[in-house]
Amino acid sequence: MSNTATRIRIAGAVVAAAASIAGLAACSSPAPSGDAAAAAPAAACEPAKGNVTLQYWNTVPGMDQVVALWNKNNPNIQVEMKNISNDQYGTIGNALKAGKAPELAQVGYDELPDLRTQNAFVDASACADATAAKSKFVPWTWSQTSFGDTGVFAFPQDTGPMALYVRSDIFKKHDLEIPKTWDEYAADAQKLHDADPNLSITFFDPNNAEWFNGLLWQNNAEMYGYAGDKWHVTVESDQSKQVAEYWQKLIDAKLVRTDLAHGSTPMYAAYQKNQIATYVGAAWGYSMFRDNLPDQAGKWTIVPMPTWGSSAASGDWGGSTVAFMKGNTHLYESVKFNSWLNTDPEALALENKLGGLYPAATAGSALPALAEGVPYYNNEKIFDVFADSSKNIDTSFTWGPTQKTVNLALQDALAKATAGDGKLADALTAAQAAALKSMQDQAIPAVAGN
Amino acid sequence: MSNQTAMRESRVSRTAVMALMFLLAIYFLLPIYFLIVAATKPQGDLASTFGLAFSHFDLFKNLGTLFSRSDGIFGRWALNSVIYAVLGAAVGTLISALCGYALAKFKFRGREFLFSVILGGVLVPTTALALPLFLLFSATGIVNTYLAVFLPSIVSPFGVYLARIFTAAAVPEEILESARLDGAGEFRTFFSVALKLLTPSLVTIFLFQFVGIWNNFFLPMVMLQKESLFPITLGLYEWNGQTARVSLLQESVITGALVSIVPVIIVFILLQRFWRTGLASGSIK
Amino acid sequence: MTDIATRGTRVVATTGGRSRHNGGGPRAGTIAAFLIPFFLPFVLFYLVPIAYAIGQSFLVVRRTGGQYGTSYTTFGGFDQYVQVFQNTEFWSSIGRIGLFGIVQVPVMLFVALIMALLLDTPLLKLKAFFRIAAFMPYAVPGVIAAIMWSFLYSPQLSPVVDLLKAIGLQPDFLGPGAVLWSAANVSTWLWTGYNMLIMFSALQAIPQELYEAAKLDGASNWAIAWKIKVPIIAPSIILTTVFSIIGTLQLYAEPAVLRQISSNISSTFTPNMLAYAVASGNNYQQAAAISVVIAVITFVLSFGFMRLTSKRAGL
Repeated sequence: MSNTATRIRIAGAVVAAAASIAGLAACSSPAPSGDAAAAAPAAACEPAKGNVTLQYWNTVPGMDQVVALWNKNNPNIQVEMKNISNDQYGTIGNALKAGKAPELAQVGYDELPDLRTQNAFVDASACADATAAKSKFVPWTWSQTSFGDTGVFAFPQDTGPMALYVRSDIFKKHDLEIPKTWDEYAADAQKLHDADPNLSITFFDPNNAEWFNGLLWQNNAEMYGYAGDKWHVTVESDQSKQVAEYWQKLIDAKLVRTDLAHGSTPMYAAYQKNQIATYVGAAWGYSMFRDNLPDQAGKWTIVPMPTWGSSAASGDWGGSTVAFMKGNTHLYESVKFNSWLNTDPEALALENKLGGLYPAATAGSALPALAEGVPYYNNEKIFDVFADSSKNIDTSFTWGPTQKTVNLALQDALAKATAGDGKLADALTAAQAAALKSMQDQAIPAVAGN
Repeated sequence: MSNQTAMRESRVSRTAVMALMFLLAIYFLLPIYFLIVAATKPQGDLASTFGLAFSHFDLFKNLGTLFSRSDGIFGRWALNSVIYAVLGAAVGTLISALCGYALAKFKFRGREFLFSVILGGVLVPTTALALPLFLLFSATGIVNTYLAVFLPSIVSPFGVYLARIFTAAAVPEEILESARLDGAGEFRTFFSVALKLLTPSLVTIFLFQFVGIWNNFFLPMVMLQKESLFPITLGLYEWNGQTARVSLLQESVITGALVSIVPVIIVFILLQRFWRTGLASGSIK
Repeated sequence: MTDIATRGTRVVATTGGRSRHNGGGPRAGTIAAFLIPFFLPFVLFYLVPIAYAIGQSFLVVRRTGGQYGTSYTTFGGFDQYVQVFQNTEFWSSIGRIGLFGIVQVPVMLFVALIMALLLDTPLLKLKAFFRIAAFMPYAVPGVIAAIMWSFLYSPQLSPVVDLLKAIGLQPDFLGPGAVLWSAANVSTWLWTGYNMLIMFSALQAIPQELYEAAKLDGASNWAIAWKIKVPIIAPSIILTTVFSIIGTLQLYAEPAVLRQISSNISSTFTPNMLAYAVASGNNYQQAAAISVVIAVITFVLSFGFMRLTSKRAGL
């Protein structure tokens, strides 16, 4: 065998192998045939013959105790839990791609369309219990989990109706009324800061798209709609720009802190040191201050969010659902557990107490825990405020099918703006562009504007 | 130059050089010292006391919290790191040694071509491969398993490169010839003769690969979602991302970081005579 | 030794320089048995993923079936690559890495070289201590080092910040301008000792006689260092440079950790972070294209640098 010949043969073999692998990999999946245009039929709902173990992934503190309670009383349907607080959607996404998704996973309302676009869910409407659950939940939550009543893909778990947390002692000390409108809020911000340069009315965390989206929601800044076979993207709108410009003014005047990350130790430290006077937050936030700033008990009060003009609108920040994931072959048992988890008063009470969850179930508002005054907040019935807030949440607000990517782009741009490179309104432009581009990448038909 | 001037000059140079090196030594050791101090403190003291001074000595309590947290997941992570790194480097060293030895000592057609392919592989770092590996593995269904991290880790083109030059330097042709004459097959020659000569070099290769796998972050991060499969690096990164929500976690991150660097330092100190001779004999050209 | 030598010669004499197999070496099957344990995994876990990623990068996503219809992939030519090159985020991340590399790599290698040279002179006492101190960071995984330094950068926890504040400075290691260099510092801390050790080992291999001649000519220590030592160990300097270039282009762990505490690191700060973010957005074909481009750039730069310097170093 000659030198050159063998070398050529070996080289040729390597190249051929590489090319064939590349070719195989480039083999596209075949286009689905005609009938795929119809929605996939709901999966069957048969009880299993023997014992069943379900996987349930979530990020709720204390959920392991809730699951333990179920497991104690349901030996035939055991639930294994996994906490995915770090990179919740990365974990879910990778599991889906690998075909190893759990039966049930916690999915935020804002991620439902995105994951649905990835075919992540199973329709449980074949289960009688599933469709019957509709009446047990607050209407806007069911609307989002059923995608406008087109199937049962998840059960709502909790919501985050927003309100304003106020250090009433600081306001009293500076002789200020608690603000009812955003204009009053801005005015109070100026007065507080003038009186004490170390005092800010609140903080603006650019890396919190969910919070910012909640503010947009309050101003009816609807970002996505679906009509005529296309998504209509209006991330950049007059209402959203109004919100951005408002906060930009506060930032420019140095009336809000921009160096604190929500939920971080420095944030709590700043509140601890009386450097921040209010918190624009959701119902689930009530346990944050109770648990982390125990010596401020009695100093906080909760009032409705400042409003734009005379409208009483509120926004929702966060809250999650428990979704039936692709590959779930135990729908019957999953529906049973999911239903208990999110409508049973005992479960709801435990989730509220340990995880700070504000239930999406209508039974939730009747919970004894929610009807009582909360000691930390001067025994005020803070949940009445959240219940009212809940009523004023725009029910037609829709999330986009690439929300994850858009949230990330929004955060990157908001962070740039708070660092001085551009304005918050530019972040809306960036998010709009990211929405259109990411939908285009996924071959989702979309246009800008209404 | 008079003797006195020379001595004075050299004393000045000596002090300057020592001062410079001390400053550099402080730079290199400062974070580790800080870690040691911080690991002994209770969570509350972290922000309120000066970072380089000890306060309350709570090291054992912190260690207890660390290992009992989340049903002892940290111990699990430590075990995983050991499995990935020790087993991975062991297997990797063996196959690199076999391959490098063959490339150094056997003459065959295509030898230089294969060696160039390996050199090309040295230029492609594992991080660049992690995402492509993830795409491939998820298409074949082995993501989120031990193998997903272990298998790619055993491949070390740099190990083969080192093995080749070490073999060329440390294993004389005559020894191999005589072994062959004694009737020993190639494998017996390799295992009973060559390996003994190569031991310091093999330890060097093992250490490089061990550190490489122990430190590897991007590959496990991309491949693994199941917490019980995480190596320490990924586990501590995950905890570090949660300290906002669970502030007590911060002390465990610090204590865990300290625990994670101790084994490697010990391994290095124990094996240092090997890798020093190994590196010298290779004298990387 | 002599025994073996004579034995060898005796064999050559009796068999006339010819032996049983191909040129005196083992059979092809045996050679393969030595090579395959490495090359099989190498092909499977190095070459195949690259080929697979290349394949994926030529696909695009299409969709049928309305609002939540099913998606499928089809051949898209260079579409994905066009998108990579049109992506401003991509170029920003490349620019950032480029800036990072142009500063961090030379600084780090210069410090490593100085340290190696100093360790090689009699000027220094406590050499073992300095060697170990410099090499300790190598024992620390990059992620852990980044976590450690993130504590040292944090305004709440850091003693360094406390000390600097005490002398009146207002350090902001996590600010928008500084955060890139804070990440660079972590890399420098991690790799200086390792690079120093490579250079030092090369220095140790230089025979003393080379210095005798120079010293007799009255050359100072510095002249010896720069004119003799450095040129001789040039190959190891080139090696460390190439590895550093490769490492810089792959940067992920350090910025990712700093991102956990600083909002000035975007999700697309480095090319690898961009690739990962794109993959997390389920655009696997685009992520594959980005990975391929990063790999090609890495290869071109490291190979190019080696070629450029190989002539001068006599490699």
